[in-house]
Amino acid sequence: MSDWKRIIIAIDDSPRSINAVEYVGSIAGHLSGVHLCLLHIYPEPPPDYYQSGATLDDYKMDQEERAKLLFAQTKKVLQAHGVAPQAITTRCRIAGQQSISAAILELQTKEEYGTIVVGKRGISKAEEFLFGSISNALIHNGRDIAVWVIG
Amino acid sequence: MAAYDSIASLPEAIARILKEHRVTRSLRRPSRVYTDTTDFSSIDYGDIILAEDRYFLITAYTKEGRFGVDEQIKQWVPKVEELATGRQYILKLVFKETFDMRLGQFTITCYRSPEKEARILELVQGRPHFMQGEAVLDARGNLIRVVVPVGGNRLDKVIHRSESSHEEYFFNELPAVFEEFLGCLQGIAFLHEHGLRHGDIRRDHIFVDRNTGHFYWIDFDYDFYLPEKPFALDLFELGNILIYLTGRGDYHPREIQADPAMGDPVVRSLSATDFSLLAPNRVVNLQKLFPYIPDALNNILLHFSAGADVFYETVEEIHTDLSAALEQLKKTSKNGRKREGETRETG
Repeated sequence: MSDWKRIIIAIDDSPRSINAVEYVGSIAGHLSGVHLCLLHIYPEPPPDYYQSGATLDDYKMDQEERAKLLFAQTKKVLQAHGVAPQAITTRCRIAGQQSISAAILELQTKEEYGTIVVGKRGISKAEEFLFGSISNALIHNGRDIAVWVIG
Repeated sequence: MAAYDSIASLPEAIARILKEHRVTRSLRRPSRVYTDTTDFSSIDYGDIILAEDRYFLITAYTKEGRFGVDEQIKQWVPKVEELATGRQYILKLVFKETFDMRLGQFTITCYRSPEKEARILELVQGRPHFMQGEAVLDARGNLIRVVVPVGGNRLDKVIHRSESSHEEYFFNELPAVFEEFLGCLQGIAFLHEHGLRHGDIRRDHIFVDRNTGHFYWIDFDYDFYLPEKPFALDLFELGNILIYLTGRGDYHPREIQADPAMGDPVVRSLSATDFSLLAPNRVVNLQKLFPYIPDALNNILLHFSAGADVFYETVEEIHTDLSAALEQLKKTSKNGRKREGETRETG
């Protein structure tokens, strides 16, 4: 099992993501040897995105700009809890042909993170079937890691 | 108004074929030759679409009627004859649209994508269970799909042809339907393996070839955007077809109530978990309506019910379960026939 103190916090701009960051910060602020990766994975653009003449590069740039703001906000939260700035890294990438959960797990495996933290959406069975649940997918498909789902 | 050329622009051999054509004889004006199909609504019966040196004469239009709605002409989908070869095709001209589809309490945005359909046509070239065709470009770069029509009828019409009872249909006709449907499932699994969705899986989007009885998927130009579960809607719609085929119809409480063989007792036996996960008025637990449906088959249907705790994640999973259920059904059918024979002998 990878080092549990190497932690990915998968975030988007929802309040539940901020909750998850707060939660991790409240623990990590009291620990040494913690490495936190704030990760924002965004999906491919919708099929009609290109009709206006925009390119995939335009889409990626826009997403990365948004992620910068998100990272600035969440880093502040972590640092307010006493997490050292050098213990925090940020990553932003497109899921591409993968689902968001698969892209998170790919990074986790490749870079040997031991813990993944996500916010909990609280969705119905029908929503889970149709739109998917990132937290459930991480729990089902993650191997030799801890998955923290923050409600 | 789209620009067009006169028939004087046609090569001599093509002009000769056109002159003798039944469509020309019935036309009160000369045909027009379109090299740009952007404004497809200006192109009409008897006109010619020229793309990549192929001349397609419009001989009719396809229509679409669905579930109580009157049939409407699809102007972007003309039936054509390629003048050089005499072959019949269906052209699908570029018609980009985005619309929201309601599914129970959810809204899913759908897109019509010529590019996606062209990719699928290329991918499934020569594969069974898919309509065949290719894409050509008009002079403006519009991606026209040239589709070989499947000579036959919609699956949902075909299964209603016999006047058998549901029980007779279930044991005597459904096994053969499932044999073909399994091939259709493999076809969709193949698309998913390649990262593509059918996008518009419906019971009237499987055509049954009138000569061979083989099933073919048609119409691949719809797409939807569900990034975390890219194939979920295809899976759900496959479940809907399976439920329809098993029941030889959709069942809602009002239909069950009106059926003298079922009526109030069956309606009262239904609980919330017997209904569809996403279409809350449609009964999925068909065993309550038709008790001879074996568990193995009914359990597949229940994966699409509001009571489901486990969902199918891939088409292969449905295929595996349906294959096993079909084997069981075939055995039961055989035994059933034997019993009937015995009854006749002794009676």
